[in-house]
Amino acid sequence: MTMNDAFDQRLRDAFAEAAEPLNDQAEADAFAAKVVARLSHPDRKRALMLGGAGSVGSAIAGTQLEGVFDRVQIPADGVMANIAFLMSPETMAALAMAVALGMVALILPRRIA
Amino acid sequence: MKASDEELTALVMATKNAAAFGELVRRHQGVVRGMLQRMCRNHALADDLAQDTFIRAFEKIGSYLGTGSIKSWFCSIAYTEFLKSARKRKSTDRAMERFGSGMEDTEAPRDMGNVVDLDRALATLKDEERVAVVMCYSCGMSHSEAAEATGMPLGTIKSHVNRGRAKLQAYFAESEVMAS
Repeated sequence: MTMNDAFDQRLRDAFAEAAEPLNDQAEADAFAAKVVARLSHPDRKRALMLGGAGSVGSAIAGTQLEGVFDRVQIPADGVMANIAFLMSPETMAALAMAVALGMVALILPRRIA
Repeated sequence: MKASDEELTALVMATKNAAAFGELVRRHQGVVRGMLQRMCRNHALADDLAQDTFIRAFEKIGSYLGTGSIKSWFCSIAYTEFLKSARKRKSTDRAMERFGSGMEDTEAPRDMGNVVDLDRALATLKDEERVAVVMCYSCGMSHSEAAEATGMPLGTIKSHVNRGRAKLQAYFAESEVMAS
């Protein structure tokens, strides 16, 4: 065994000694239990917070949207007149709300990097 | 008979079985937490990062190709989590410095004796050297596994390990002279 081999072994032993308390059976079981518990309830708090914020935001926006879309000029003739029923303030507000809810649903399952 | 790592991994990949994953965590948590403790020098932060590592591993178990050991795969995810946390801490430190209150990012080691020596010795290394040494000596990863995990070229990893190892050898030799 060369000097280098001896030092390598000493280094490995030092790392193993430092990690020894972590390999205790009770310690390992407790840590694994914590991880498994997080797997079955992933980010519950985050989902509640984002869902709550999204709902409040949508509710506030919903009360304002009708007023905003009221000002849209609906064409009385031409091709656009055929889809005028889609351009009523209520429909446009509902569409905007659907988009907002879709965005919340898209973000909710993602983890913060 | 106990199931092998490969069998447990296959079960988790196929069915997302939390109990099987729990067994993998139980087997490899010591290596991952040990590695993170030596890298972070903060036990509480290391344990949080280790938990995040295993959660992340469970989420992306489908991307495990089975080319290396599952232990090396966990260690490479742990390294990514460590880097993310280090980046966040650096920006926090800069913000704290701006207000003139430097924040201590290390805690006093809880263990006594050799572990303190090891942590002090590791503190003398550059970040990249410490990472390379910890991966190869603490996790038992080969140079190529460490290169794959860190994204560094193989030659760079080898020189980080050699330089780090030489510094540690010098540190321990000096400590022994001081003690005698």
